[in-house]
Amino acid sequence: MQEELFTSGRNIPNIDPSLQIWHWPISLYLFLGGLAAGILFFAALFYLMGKEKQYPALKKAAVIPPIALSVGLLALVYDLTHPLFTWQLYTTFRIESPMSWGAWVLLITTPLSFLWLFSFYRSTFPKWESKLKLFKKFKFLEKFEKFLITNRTYMAYALIPLSIILGVYTGILLSAFNARPLWNNAILGPLFLTSGLSTGAAAIILLSRNREERHLFSKIDLGLIIVEIALIIHMIMGYYAGSQVQLEAMDLLVGGEFTLMFFGFVILLGLLVPAILEVIELLGFKVPVAVPAALVIIGGLLFRFIMVEAGQLTRYLY
Amino acid sequence: MGPLIPGGYIPLEWDSIIAIFIGIAFGFVLEASGFSSSRKLAGVFYGYDFAVLKVFFTAAAVSVIGIYYMDYLGYLDISKLYVHPTYLWGAIIGGIIMGAGFVTGGFCPGTSLCAVAIGKLDAWIYVFGIMVGVFIFSELFNLFEPIYDGYNFGNITLIDSFGWNPYWVIFIFTIIAVLAFGIADLVRKKIKSVFY
Amino acid sequence: MNTKYKTSPHQYWNPYFGGFLLGIIIIFTFYLTGRGLGASGAIKSSVVTVVENVAPKHAESNSYYSQFITDDKSPMNTWLVYEALGILIGAFISGSISGRIKWRVQHSPKITAKRRLIFALIGGILFGLGAQIARGCTSGAALSGMAVLSTGGFLTMLSIFGSAYAFAYFFRKNWI
Repeated sequence: MQEELFTSGRNIPNIDPSLQIWHWPISLYLFLGGLAAGILFFAALFYLMGKEKQYPALKKAAVIPPIALSVGLLALVYDLTHPLFTWQLYTTFRIESPMSWGAWVLLITTPLSFLWLFSFYRSTFPKWESKLKLFKKFKFLEKFEKFLITNRTYMAYALIPLSIILGVYTGILLSAFNARPLWNNAILGPLFLTSGLSTGAAAIILLSRNREERHLFSKIDLGLIIVEIALIIHMIMGYYAGSQVQLEAMDLLVGGEFTLMFFGFVILLGLLVPAILEVIELLGFKVPVAVPAALVIIGGLLFRFIMVEAGQLTRYLY
Repeated sequence: MGPLIPGGYIPLEWDSIIAIFIGIAFGFVLEASGFSSSRKLAGVFYGYDFAVLKVFFTAAAVSVIGIYYMDYLGYLDISKLYVHPTYLWGAIIGGIIMGAGFVTGGFCPGTSLCAVAIGKLDAWIYVFGIMVGVFIFSELFNLFEPIYDGYNFGNITLIDSFGWNPYWVIFIFTIIAVLAFGIADLVRKKIKSVFY
Repeated sequence: MNTKYKTSPHQYWNPYFGGFLLGIIIIFTFYLTGRGLGASGAIKSSVVTVVENVAPKHAESNSYYSQFITDDKSPMNTWLVYEALGILIGAFISGSISGRIKWRVQHSPKITAKRRLIFALIGGILFGLGAQIARGCTSGAALSGMAVLSTGGFLTMLSIFGSAYAFAYFFRKNWI
């Protein structure tokens, strides 16, 4: 790719005249990254608190991050125009570039999530092991597993900051893009992190077979949903107080093409309805918590799609 | 003022979101009144439970009084409301078929959706049946078209058809409803109660 | 989980209270949108969508389906479909408060579950057919029609209840 210097705001190749160049793989990747970050964060946190025995679904949920991150990375590379040049990202590190941060964090987190899963593999999934018989076929795995288990604490210490950076990065990736008024605000990072944590908690609820555990995670999820709603209100107020381009960007969400998807499906069905159901559940009524959890996950996915799609329709220059 | 959305007081984009809200309220009230139970619904035809009659006619009376009162106060322009069109024989024949379906299946579409949400498998089958029914109708549309499109009287109300005064119509309708409730309670006392 | 609230699954609202709230919802619906409630329309939209996706040419040539197919939006993108989605959620919330959510087939103890399911299917087919001929079901035609004193609404209501009472005798074994 050729480097170019932009002296004018107009007719910048791939930015100004061509408004929609990011497609569904980007949204999918942002969602999967947030989901993986959420699960890894809770898994590492509860491990460090010494409560991993109480909450078995956390170990089961360790299957999701490696798969999610791999699929997400595949989607990301698939969307690139020149997939073969991906390695060039790793020839440099720029502290001011979110792309650089993201690439490096992913490079560390993805293998770490595989190691994390492997350290739980034999104890959590004895059925798979008895079918696959990996440990009989490859003798060195015994030693490797032992090494991982003794160093689990260090992995957990590394995973907490890494997962937070990963979660924030999924939002900052968009908000650093100052040519798109809908994305260009500082709320997007924390918002995507919260949403990622909340979908992570929801995924743990879905996998859980333990009532106490589901209860705890629906509490966590409820708290995160409240924070998320507060951040979304904050974001919309930020647009509202902004310049004309930001008002026009807000209009896409508040009274335009994406209103139904944003308010109807993300806020109402993806946040408010699950919040109501979780409150009812916490009050002691019998609610199948899988339903709010599934709604949260679908809402999170739609939210990424809407932000990516709607953001690309907005620009500064008309 | 109203209706608000056709009048342009609320942006059209919010129409579908309001639909979800109204649906939630509708579903909640139907389920809480017991309309997700086919045996409770069917009770009205055998005299052991008149909940359907009571809910249905109370709702109709409240809504018609409320709409005309809001029109009287000037909040709502009744001439701008959508009036269900009258296709004479379509309404009668369709109603007869629906009545047979009601007593066989024990649900109507709205209540079957409520029952679907709380996991009644018979309601899932029933909704599938409705889809089959719609499919049959569409495939044989040419056969049904004379009834479906014929005998069209337009979007008329009782006032247009008979020239009655709407306020008297509403008053008499309410009296009939209250009388029906009283009779229903009398009938219910005489009939052996059924536990469901 | 503590069960502080002991609610019986058979504890329903007072019918007059439910009816009153339902009436308020209908007024509100007319005030906001200028139209009434409905339910069978959403099911019709899903049938149209399925047929359109399975056999697009057939759907376009059929004079009934083609009324609901437009180029720029899916037949699912209608008011009634969103309302039906809301019905499902509202019923789910209410059902979870009163502990009624459970997979089961509800039937009279005198008949088998299989018989109940067969009759449910027949009833559904009849109701689906009838609702298309009358252009609306109990909620769309009868209830919302009566709220604005529509002649067709009253006719549909009378025919539904009349015929149901007339046929009730033949199906009494299924219910009592």
